[in-house]
Amino acid sequence: MTKALDTLLDSLLGELENIRVQRVTQRRIRVDVDADALPTLLELLQGRAGYIHLSAISCVDWVDELQFELVYHVWSYETRTLISAHTRIPREPGVYISIYDLYQPAAFFERDIHEMFGVYFEGSPNMEKFILTEWNGPPPMRKEFDSEQFVHQHFEFENYQPDWLRELEARGGGITKRPEDIR
Amino acid sequence: MSTLDKIPVREQPVTPGQSTKRSNPLAHVFDDLVAFCRAKSLFMLHYCTGCGAIELPPAMTSRYDMEQLGIQPMVTPRQADILLITGYVSIKTLKRIILTYEQMSSPKYVIGICSCTVNGGMYWQSYATAKVLKDYLPVDLYIAGCMPRPEAVIDGLKELIADIKTGRADNWKRYFQNYDYYLGNQQKLFGDDWQTPTDIIAEARCYQLLTDQTLGKHTALLEQHQQPLEALEMRLRNKEKQARD
Amino acid sequence: MTLELLAELLLMPLVAFIIGMLMVLMMRKIAAGIQRRIGPPFFQPLYDIIKLYGKQTQISHGLIHEIGVIMAVGGYIAAETLLPVPGMNGIADKGGIITLAYMMMVPSLGLALGVGQCANPNGSIGISRALTAMLAYDIPFMIVMFGAGYLYDTTNLADMIAIQQQQGLASWGIVQTPLLAFAGLIAMQAMLGKQPFEVYVAPAEIATGPMVEMSGKFLGGLFVMQCFQLYTVAVLYTTLFLGGGENWLTFLVKIFAVIAIPMAIAFLFPRYRTEDLLRLMWKWPVVLGLMGLAVIMK
Repeated sequence: MTKALDTLLDSLLGELENIRVQRVTQRRIRVDVDADALPTLLELLQGRAGYIHLSAISCVDWVDELQFELVYHVWSYETRTLISAHTRIPREPGVYISIYDLYQPAAFFERDIHEMFGVYFEGSPNMEKFILTEWNGPPPMRKEFDSEQFVHQHFEFENYQPDWLRELEARGGGITKRPEDIR
Repeated sequence: MSTLDKIPVREQPVTPGQSTKRSNPLAHVFDDLVAFCRAKSLFMLHYCTGCGAIELPPAMTSRYDMEQLGIQPMVTPRQADILLITGYVSIKTLKRIILTYEQMSSPKYVIGICSCTVNGGMYWQSYATAKVLKDYLPVDLYIAGCMPRPEAVIDGLKELIADIKTGRADNWKRYFQNYDYYLGNQQKLFGDDWQTPTDIIAEARCYQLLTDQTLGKHTALLEQHQQPLEALEMRLRNKEKQARD
Repeated sequence: MTLELLAELLLMPLVAFIIGMLMVLMMRKIAAGIQRRIGPPFFQPLYDIIKLYGKQTQISHGLIHEIGVIMAVGGYIAAETLLPVPGMNGIADKGGIITLAYMMMVPSLGLALGVGQCANPNGSIGISRALTAMLAYDIPFMIVMFGAGYLYDTTNLADMIAIQQQQGLASWGIVQTPLLAFAGLIAMQAMLGKQPFEVYVAPAEIATGPMVEMSGKFLGGLFVMQCFQLYTVAVLYTTLFLGGGENWLTFLVKIFAVIAIPMAIAFLFPRYRTEDLLRLMWKWPVVLGLMGLAVIMK
């Protein structure tokens, strides 16, 4: 049965155009498609090849190329293979279509990516914040957001001089790299 | 950075027989008895914040039995004496910690376990963690480590017990006495409309712990934004059923 | 009211409190023994109670909250004066097992009042479960108590003790009606609220149920109530089935042995759900009790 589904998958992927397929290991396939072809690909994979489980949706920030890369990981129970479908969307509007109609767990991942990267998914049922409810700044996982600089601007650290360290320094010892230099 | 050192506090605990008002040696016998019992029986709140919570079950179970010291876990803040902040404190959690702290009845002790409460620890670069815990709550004891082993936790608790016996562990009063300072730090993180259901100023007045550092510009801001809290709405039927009917 | 009676009325609850604290200690030591730990030091229950009463800020939810806890403790104090101990009878002659049965219901009802005022949903759930459990265990409890009353032909507890002590070991309740005694043991486990009948406390599920908003002096009052509760149930069971106590030594041995049995069982079990508890209590102890009654009444 596995071999039949494998050939089915190959014929399915052969039917589409502008697609690049790469078998990374025996159980992982990487597929690169255009942004407008991805929902169709996922629908075909779900309906005709048995990839009914959405494992995750990831997002990568290519800040120099001004693009977001969205990766959809789908899993098939029968062939036990994971297909990672990669696509790129332009960073500026940062809007994409939601696949909530195909896979319902997608709503959760899309909400997460919206909070962390600022990508808006049209058609997703709930785009409210749930992780960073106390956060009012820019989407923090974008590469232009410098977390350390933010911390130095907004938080104050304690001046840490415990007794045992003073005793050590009195005897000539101490720490070689001060925390202020690391920070 | 912390201005708490400039606030005058009572440095020496009151020892029996040395009070200036009375020369009766039995004047403080009840205080001493109660302080002794407070040291021997501690209820810790079973609300453990971050990753350091994993070190508490070994301290409570057979190997390092904490019940020998009189410490037992209790489930609600109303019943507990010790609030253990184990691990990193994200801003979301800090709100709930402050709500929990204000619900406890005094005398109450806060112990910051793990290095993340001391000075940021492993997550010091994160935009969503609070770095120094004692800016937001009065902390009695820090137990540094990542995570400290159960022996270290028990060692710290024994130090707290020794502090309670001598009467030095009264940091809970500092929350009432310096509420403006703590509220200012809390408002910096949570915004100007931060409020809790507990009326700290009224409590400070009731227990005569009001000082001139309790009220200030931050409490004035709180008063501006304060809204009366409403009870949660209780619905007997869920929305879909109502929509269907 | 003579001076001696007054002294007895004051002493009996005090004795009950001290013995109750020792029973709480025994309970915690048994738990520690089963879990291979050491357990608390000797005066731990006393330290807990003094610390709770020594809290310096109070969180009270109103007058009914305070009245509730007073009723909870007061009901048991009144019940102690009705339980005869060696040397002191108190007012046991004036009220027998009927008054005692009423008195032992007052604490739960008082606690329900207090918890209702607290307005915490966990507390409301817990106390509704507690009252359901009381409904569950009261049926076999009444059957057992009145069966014992029928057996000795009196409702006066002091007379029951006198009969059992005069006629020796063969006239003890546990020898004459082992069925009633066993049903009483099951009812006692539910009355103490120990596993597997501990659903009304349920520490991690509903945050200790009725005790969720009790802090400081209120929790201290409930700890005191626990001491009284253990003592009351133990002494009642001993009086009905184990021949009371001729002198203090045998009396203490008996009541501690009676309490040790449910404690040893309790820490091995998880808990029943409320409706399962109801079903269980209305089935097995009731059937055993009725069979025991049938045997006596023949």
